[in-house]
Amino acid sequence: MNNVGTALYEEMIRTFDMSGASHTKETASLAHLRKEAFRTFKEKGFPTIKDEDWRFTNMAPYLKDAYQLQVPVKVEATALEALLDSTAVEEWDAWKLVLVNGQIDYSLSDLPEAGLLKISSLKEVLGSEEVSKFIGLHQNTDANRLAALNTALFEDGLFIEVAKGQKAEKPLHIVHLYTADVPSFVQPRHLILLGRLSEFTFMESTACVGGEAPVLVNGVLECNLEEGANLTHYVLQRGRRGERMVQHTQVYQARDSRYDNVTISLPETDLIRNQLQVALDGSGSECHLYGLYLPSAGQLIDNHTVVDHLQPHCESNELYKGVLQNSAKAVFNGKIFVRQIAQKTNAFQQNNNLLLGDKALVHSKPQLEIFADDVKCSHGSTIGQFNPESLFYLRARGIGEALAKELLVQAFGADITDRVSSDAVSRHLKKHLLERPVTQLQDVPHIEHI
Amino acid sequence: MSNENDILLEELANKEYEFGFVTDIDMEIAPLGLSEDTVRYISAKKGEPSWLLEWRLKAYQAFLKSPMPSWQNFVMPEIDFQSASYYAAPRQQAKYQSLDEVDPELLATFDKLGISLNEQKLLAGVAVDVIFDSVSVTTTYKKQLHDLGIIFCSLGEAVQEHPELVKKYLGSVVPVTDNTFAALNAGVFSDGSFVYIPKGVRCPMELSTYFRINAENNGQFERTLIIADEGSYVSYLEGCTAPKRDTNQLHAAVVELIALDNAEIKYSTVQNWYPGDKDGRGGIYNFVTKRGNCKGPHSKISWTQVETGSSITWKYPSVILQGDYSSGEFYSVAVTKGKQIADTGTKMHHIGKETKSRIISKGISAGEGQNSYRGLVQMGAKANNARNFTQCDSLLIGDQCGAHTFPYIESRNSSAMVEHEATTSKIGEDQLFYLNQRGIDTEKAVALIINGYAKEVLNQLPMEFAVEAQKLLSITLEGSVG
Repeated sequence: MNNVGTALYEEMIRTFDMSGASHTKETASLAHLRKEAFRTFKEKGFPTIKDEDWRFTNMAPYLKDAYQLQVPVKVEATALEALLDSTAVEEWDAWKLVLVNGQIDYSLSDLPEAGLLKISSLKEVLGSEEVSKFIGLHQNTDANRLAALNTALFEDGLFIEVAKGQKAEKPLHIVHLYTADVPSFVQPRHLILLGRLSEFTFMESTACVGGEAPVLVNGVLECNLEEGANLTHYVLQRGRRGERMVQHTQVYQARDSRYDNVTISLPETDLIRNQLQVALDGSGSECHLYGLYLPSAGQLIDNHTVVDHLQPHCESNELYKGVLQNSAKAVFNGKIFVRQIAQKTNAFQQNNNLLLGDKALVHSKPQLEIFADDVKCSHGSTIGQFNPESLFYLRARGIGEALAKELLVQAFGADITDRVSSDAVSRHLKKHLLERPVTQLQDVPHIEHI
Repeated sequence: MSNENDILLEELANKEYEFGFVTDIDMEIAPLGLSEDTVRYISAKKGEPSWLLEWRLKAYQAFLKSPMPSWQNFVMPEIDFQSASYYAAPRQQAKYQSLDEVDPELLATFDKLGISLNEQKLLAGVAVDVIFDSVSVTTTYKKQLHDLGIIFCSLGEAVQEHPELVKKYLGSVVPVTDNTFAALNAGVFSDGSFVYIPKGVRCPMELSTYFRINAENNGQFERTLIIADEGSYVSYLEGCTAPKRDTNQLHAAVVELIALDNAEIKYSTVQNWYPGDKDGRGGIYNFVTKRGNCKGPHSKISWTQVETGSSITWKYPSVILQGDYSSGEFYSVAVTKGKQIADTGTKMHHIGKETKSRIISKGISAGEGQNSYRGLVQMGAKANNARNFTQCDSLLIGDQCGAHTFPYIESRNSSAMVEHEATTSKIGEDQLFYLNQRGIDTEKAVALIINGYAKEVLNQLPMEFAVEAQKLLSITLEGSVG
């Protein structure tokens, strides 16, 4: 226990003691898991900068507000719809699932008929042993106290199951809306199960509406990929001032499965902390992780990724890029583990930062831990500025300095947005990059205007 | 092929430590245990002035207060500070005028080490300050250096003869509160080397220290202080060996380098402490704090290390780039085999503008060795146009070893550039095949490849040392085929 967020910590203990009543329908194993997870959290409290994984990300200032745990949604439907429209991806034929403060809102959603793609709220299925055994299955709660806290206290979220051999007809767009008039602490929990040889694509968008009150989201998403399954996952994180997001994503991969992730974090939100952890536990499996973060003044974006090679013949690729302006702060920590039996592993990791602001700060910590000898692993990290030659090239062709810089930033970001296989989504992501010119020069026209 | 490999690997693992002999010399050893009295005892033995005793006591207090570090990437062995002796000195502590007066046993020891003083006398250009368990025994070439105004003596002597310099710089780079082992060292250090190069002087020869831990249960806490005044240059070599013992011995040294305006210091280490036997029994814990401060503009500090010994090596030779336009370098080859552990790397703190640093680290793990590179590159807010390049490569030989990389990169300046790259791989089969095909047997081929792999670092060593390091590398890794 430490003295970070003491009031909130006390509140958590009170809530946990009372939560038993609302969890009566859950399986015994889950009840046990919740207890264990809470014990871990209770013992050590919220993470502090003394924890190696939180060294550069101080949660303390974000835990001071008097958060409430169960806040009823009080926003007008029209306001929600307007917000929802802003997240729409043009020309993308996809199902839509809307969650407001972590709970499914069916009236705003557009879902397929119940069938081989099963979508429901997580609460509904927690009574089933078949499903609840996947909760926290591959999660190391000791190392992730916030994820443990979520495990102990989560109420609801979404559950998706793609049956064996199924290829989902259309991709799914999951929209997380958050709204708060009073400081709120939301802990959504999601579970996605992919059966053998199934295929699924989904995109998560976050947006925040109404109120100025701080919102702290402590979310956990678990994805379980059985043999040969193929999961594509896009994330677009956008919020408002006062919003703090800690997102823990745990992916477990069996033999010959593939996981693709593209995460774009846009400015505005106070804090974004992404913890993406992939366990490659079957030979022939591969994962590809791409990220782009664009923190603005006073904002902190922290990406912690872990790729754990547990079996031989696996491959992982990772590329994270960041553009920092003003007094933005970014943290990147990428861990690659290669276990002793994981021979013939190929693991690559790269982190590039464009540091533009005078007061901006980057902490980059790529990390390799290798216990097998027949492997090819590498990582690289750079922190730098615009290439003066590229700038000169553009300016020599009559492009003003500000626009030239903007172009270079977009080219830098395109490395990530181009990884998206869906054209519509790729366009959508690029549009967001354009909407927020990273060089923050107001009179800079966008590329389209040239 | 694989069977052959196994045999070779086993041979490698069982490779005996060449320098594991004990020299029987009459020693004066402090009683076991660590307390304030121990600190006073050492200070009194050395006849130190009161300011130094106070400084030591302050350090000892800091040591008591600081907890054992727990962030390292290995299981920290229990160290019983009470069961070690903190001072050991050869009984015949006379000042030698010539080598003839030196205890023949001692000379024989150095003969075995291959750094015979007699030979050194003939070989041009190396002045040796020999630290035999904690006390500096003799310094060669003193006269010649003296004529140039260079001070090269034991730290104990420097305290007596040049207190103003020692007082000004001792602990200025590594403060007593820096870390647990640095605090312990400051409290109980027994001796070490002191170098002062006056303004504008280019030291004509390589200065060298040879450390050897001889007595059992004796931690070696030496302290080296090198000051290069404006426009001067010095190259300093350090080598280490220890006899074979079943118990672990702690070696917690501190090295401080200070480079003033336009000065350059080159510090090279070939560390070959006893690594323990094949089951990991015994061996030296080499927990050393090394740091240099590029205090003046245009100064330069370069660390080169070849680490092949010790059961645990734990050190991060660092450079504080305080002066504008100063530069820091770090070249390292770390070899772990058997059950050896190395957690080593560097720190580059860029404070002044236009500062530059370069880090080349080559790790080689064989047997059950664990090799970690841990580094910090820090670009301060005022480090305009600062530049860093880091490359750390790991080579794995056998499937029981591990290689780890923990770089910390931090930038607060929008004109600074930092580059880091790391790779991990094994010896390429195509490379081996190429050499085999040309009639070079596998063992020689591996030695050739390893030497090529480490060349970038070995090239930084002074000539005499480079040859020795190269030999050491091929001996250490003899018969290791991936």
